[in-house]
Amino acid sequence: MTIQETYKARVKKLLASGTVKMVIGYKPGTTADRRRPHFIRTPEEADQLVLDSACITNLSGYLLSEGLLSDEKAVAIFLKPDGIRSINILAAEAQLNSEQILILGFDSNDNQVTALEGEKVEEFTTLIESIKEQAPEALKNPLLEQIEGMTPKERFAFWQGEFSRCIKCYACRQACPMCYCRRCIVDCNQPQWVNTSSHTLGNFEWNIVRAFHLSGRCVGCGNCDRACPVNIPLRLINAKMAQEVLGAFDHFSGMSHTQEPVLASFKKDDSETFIL
Amino acid sequence: MTRILQSDKLDNCVARWREAGLTVIGPVKNESSSSYAAVEKAAEFDFSLIMPDRSIKELFFPQTEPMLHYTIKKQRIDTSDFTPPPEKRIIFGARPCDASGLAIDDPLFGWDYKDNFWFQRRDTTVIVTIACTKADDFCMCTSLKLAPDSTKGSDVLLRPLQNNKGWQVEELTDRGRDAFNEIADLLQDGSGPAAPTAVVAEKFNLDACVAWLQNPENFESTFWREISMRCIGCASCTFLCPTCHCFDFQDEGDTYSGIRRKNWDSCSFALFTMHTSGHNPRATQSARWRQRIMHKFNYFPGKFNVNSCSGCGRCSRQCPVDMGITETLQAISTLPS
Amino acid sequence: MNEIFEPKIVAFVCTYCTYAGADLAGTSRLKYAPNVRIVRLPCTGRISPMFILKALQKGADGVLISGCHPGDCHFTHGNYHARRRWMVFRALLEFTGIPSERVKYSWISAAEGGKFADLMNSITEDIRKLGPFDQYNALIKETEAPATF
Repeated sequence: MTIQETYKARVKKLLASGTVKMVIGYKPGTTADRRRPHFIRTPEEADQLVLDSACITNLSGYLLSEGLLSDEKAVAIFLKPDGIRSINILAAEAQLNSEQILILGFDSNDNQVTALEGEKVEEFTTLIESIKEQAPEALKNPLLEQIEGMTPKERFAFWQGEFSRCIKCYACRQACPMCYCRRCIVDCNQPQWVNTSSHTLGNFEWNIVRAFHLSGRCVGCGNCDRACPVNIPLRLINAKMAQEVLGAFDHFSGMSHTQEPVLASFKKDDSETFIL
Repeated sequence: MTRILQSDKLDNCVARWREAGLTVIGPVKNESSSSYAAVEKAAEFDFSLIMPDRSIKELFFPQTEPMLHYTIKKQRIDTSDFTPPPEKRIIFGARPCDASGLAIDDPLFGWDYKDNFWFQRRDTTVIVTIACTKADDFCMCTSLKLAPDSTKGSDVLLRPLQNNKGWQVEELTDRGRDAFNEIADLLQDGSGPAAPTAVVAEKFNLDACVAWLQNPENFESTFWREISMRCIGCASCTFLCPTCHCFDFQDEGDTYSGIRRKNWDSCSFALFTMHTSGHNPRATQSARWRQRIMHKFNYFPGKFNVNSCSGCGRCSRQCPVDMGITETLQAISTLPS
Repeated sequence: MNEIFEPKIVAFVCTYCTYAGADLAGTSRLKYAPNVRIVRLPCTGRISPMFILKALQKGADGVLISGCHPGDCHFTHGNYHARRRWMVFRALLEFTGIPSERVKYSWISAAEGGKFADLMNSITEDIRKLGPFDQYNALIKETEAPATF
């Protein structure tokens, strides 16, 4: 049996037995290379389920849909390692109870999908630890290094060019599982810290704020990057911030459901070479 | 007598229009994104795009535009108005769906108060549309009773020649004729065979959809919740849409002076209908998606007798979760009205 | 055009240490550059990165953030939290091309009136050398200009 079929059978069983009330997975999209989020509530609906290397969206954000988890019933969800890490963060930040989430883990490499053993988020700790070990290498990116090699003026000009295209549709925010604030800081207007207008200054400010709020929280799933209708390389900024918190505080986001958020904790001997 | 504009003359045309003081705009693609942008040379155009990622709307209704400058003094408030730029423009290579989108929004911007920011730009812009010979899975103009060679909203329609070396010229308005008289000597008489227009399959029965939407019983249908469950509430569909026109006023500045701006706004944002009290009449994403569909195919045509959709398909093409108008109307077509 | 460029610098300081340090500089009659506008806050933990962005948005050429030395925080660990936040925010600003020379951080205690005065002078001179923040100012100008299209 292919992994897709194995998982399909498992999903049907989970729903038929009432173990979970819903399974969040993927189904075919408009074109051959697209997949849509699929909310499966009956075994029959599982027939449409697809699991292949085109399933790239991190679905974990849907768990915070209003009312979904409030009845304390279990929900199963298809997640890649980055998605599993986001469950850890959401649990650590008290947005959900990880006990309620049943993980149907998978990963894809070279167009091959493999199943990941485990159901509860704790069972993936070893996997996440190995991802952390590879992180310094994995976070490297030629364009990122190129930007780091620029003078501040060139960097500013680079991002000015990228951000000038932003239309402030907030697809990056909405697509991100970590952006769950009921009211985003840019939607607060007393006071209005950054410009809501979509001129380059407003766009610059918005993107800085977004990246800062994701520092040490982003799992690098790429939802924001793919959602951006004008293709701003948001993943670069997120990767840079992930490198930074890893280097400075040995913090890798989403290690466990009890991990302290990096900016809500401190060590007395944190580096402070830059402070006069 | 039909006239022909040959591709190799286009650079001369661009130069001529620019000499005549026109800003020449057309489909341009850079590494990451495409839009209608100003060019200096014909080589910058990219006519191979199905359509630019960003619609033509932003050239008439920018994402942010200053309206007025205010200064608050002890006993009075002084204001000075901004005006839209007076430059004359020619958009060469618009898509029929984009041009139609502008015509669809004209009554909206002029029915009670004539919005000068829109109409001054409309009056100073010549729109030269190129009929489509290619379409993708998301194109749906035919479902909206438009076509890959619709003339709606265009001043000139160009049909690509079969040999791909030029276009048949069809002048539709005086504005279009004036612009092409400027380059009359660069045109050729004759009419080579035109390439066949793109085949865009009809994806849904619009009349059946409209009838379903008009039935008040369907307003509270569970259909809305089901179809919009995966909507994440971003505004990429509305901001890329050539006909979505909602905007918000934002005062940027401090207590004493600042600028009032007109910014794009979107019915898919939760904040769009949020009351000061905290009550939100469209509390859920499904209510917001319903509003978008109802507005386009029920309320807008009820007021202006035209659907607020030109079938470009950008909403589906660019949706992060592969939703869109096509899927929704296809689903509605199958429902009993 | 021989006018000397007078930079505008905004300092966000905590009330218990740096503000008291500034006060000491004043009562000690220490003279320092008048280019700095001080905004007093309860604690460095209250200094949101939003403040820095706001200062830049309003045309500041430089920003200083200053509070109690580690271990001296009136609220015991507000400055430890702030320190982490700055570390990250500083990297972000640098990566987006906002030079670190324009946004400075310091610990100044209530007893360090001299350090406060010296720092104000040196920061003012440093930023004077850098000149106005032209790239950011151009973005600000753009927001005041009529639409170009």
